[in-house]
Amino acid sequence: MDWTREKLYEEIYNLIVDTCLTISPDAKDLLQQSLKKETNETAKSMLQTMLDDVDMAKKLNKPVCQSPGFGTVYVSFSDTALLKDIKEIYSQAIIEATKNGFLRPSMVHPLTRKNPGDNSGIGVPNFEFIYTLGQEYVEHILSFKGCGAELANAMKIMTTAQLGKNYEGFKKFVIETALAGGGKPCPPYAIGVGIGGQMDIACKLARQAVSIRDWRDSNPDPLMKELEIELRDKINSLKIGAAGIGGDTSCLAVKIEIVSTHTAILPIGISFHCWPARRGGIRIYPDGRKERLFLGGH
Amino acid sequence: MKEVKLNTPLKEEDVRDLKVGDVVYISGYICTSRDMGHLKMKEVIENGEKLPVDLTGGVIFHAGPVVKKKDSGFELRVIGPTTSIRMEPHSDFIGNLGVKMIVGKGGMDEGTSKALQKYGMTYLQAPPGCAVVLGEKVEQIENVFWMELGVPEALWVLKVKEFGPLVVGMDSTGNSIYRDIKVNGKKLIEKMF
Repeated sequence: MDWTREKLYEEIYNLIVDTCLTISPDAKDLLQQSLKKETNETAKSMLQTMLDDVDMAKKLNKPVCQSPGFGTVYVSFSDTALLKDIKEIYSQAIIEATKNGFLRPSMVHPLTRKNPGDNSGIGVPNFEFIYTLGQEYVEHILSFKGCGAELANAMKIMTTAQLGKNYEGFKKFVIETALAGGGKPCPPYAIGVGIGGQMDIACKLARQAVSIRDWRDSNPDPLMKELEIELRDKINSLKIGAAGIGGDTSCLAVKIEIVSTHTAILPIGISFHCWPARRGGIRIYPDGRKERLFLGGH
Repeated sequence: MKEVKLNTPLKEEDVRDLKVGDVVYISGYICTSRDMGHLKMKEVIENGEKLPVDLTGGVIFHAGPVVKKKDSGFELRVIGPTTSIRMEPHSDFIGNLGVKMIVGKGGMDEGTSKALQKYGMTYLQAPPGCAVVLGEKVEQIENVFWMELGVPEALWVLKVKEFGPLVVGMDSTGNSIYRDIKVNGKKLIEKMF
């Protein structure tokens, strides 16, 4: 069976709706683990309310959170035939999902602040195309990440001198950013950290890390693995807590992605992902098969 | 820490009685307002006009709903708190209108803490991201104004029943859980490195 535009549109519309209705299984699993360990009564009640919210969203067929943020679609591909008019398809499907009460019309002109009322707009949603030579399928990963989390984000071009011994300057920047963020990014959150490249690259890596990786995975780079765990634990020791009003867990995971950089600079991008990890994915195969990703969060 | 059920319009003595950590459930009417909504309120007052709702003893909820258009108005799908710090410049203005509670997420800053003390208000932390749980506490959309601002920014008047759980994050005596966490966190970071 071939992929017609109609069939691809239907799959993408369903992906958008399903992604709004729940959180990814890794996030749910980590929330449940946090609740088991939590010693602060208020934080326990907040974590329980979050898990109840996920259950009720499924039962009532309602979006798990009101804020869809600024959606990004990560598309990896080799053959372009299966992409079709992918940007137009997503744009139309988002407008339809908005009309049907699954997404709030949150997109506005950046300066006039005018809201067209249907989530249409320049560059909506955002696309990141990843050319993956020889990959038989096209993979879409859709990420809706609340924009309150964006208010805590940070970017800095550090220097070699600022990096310091044992990368302490870098660690301190991440931990201080988490403390300054407090309850703004809807803790317990995950943090994506992009290191290297230039400003744009570090920031894109930060969002990508926290959008497409499983929050429970283990970084294959031993140094990054060590840093991810150390930063997560140090941030949790600040006792910001679920909802930012105290508690044992504010950070479910830290995910670091690196690329090389110029010898003069050390770019660091930090991107928070609120606990409602609305992430969905689909793999489209040339023979008409499809495979859904990030399922099981129900 | 106590658990309190309150009805709108709120009485100042009931609000002054609340301390950080208390859990509150609100019944009655609450009004949503966020960035543009606050600016619109200021514009209306500056023009010497009246607001479409009386906010005396009222509750401002930093939020914008997901709604579905029906033949007769709107159906509320879900609603949860937005990040309150953006509305920090407006706290004194809000207090002066007679608002007694601000509900949102992430906490607010020192200007708000001063306004809470001056006017006898509290700031309540709603469970962040929990738009279905909170939406189920909304009995109906009572009214909506300023739709030209867009769905998130319009002023929605919501009839709610035991809306919560809401935790007092900042009270009218100057206490703030958010400030305490920041002050303590800074000390902890100094010890780390």
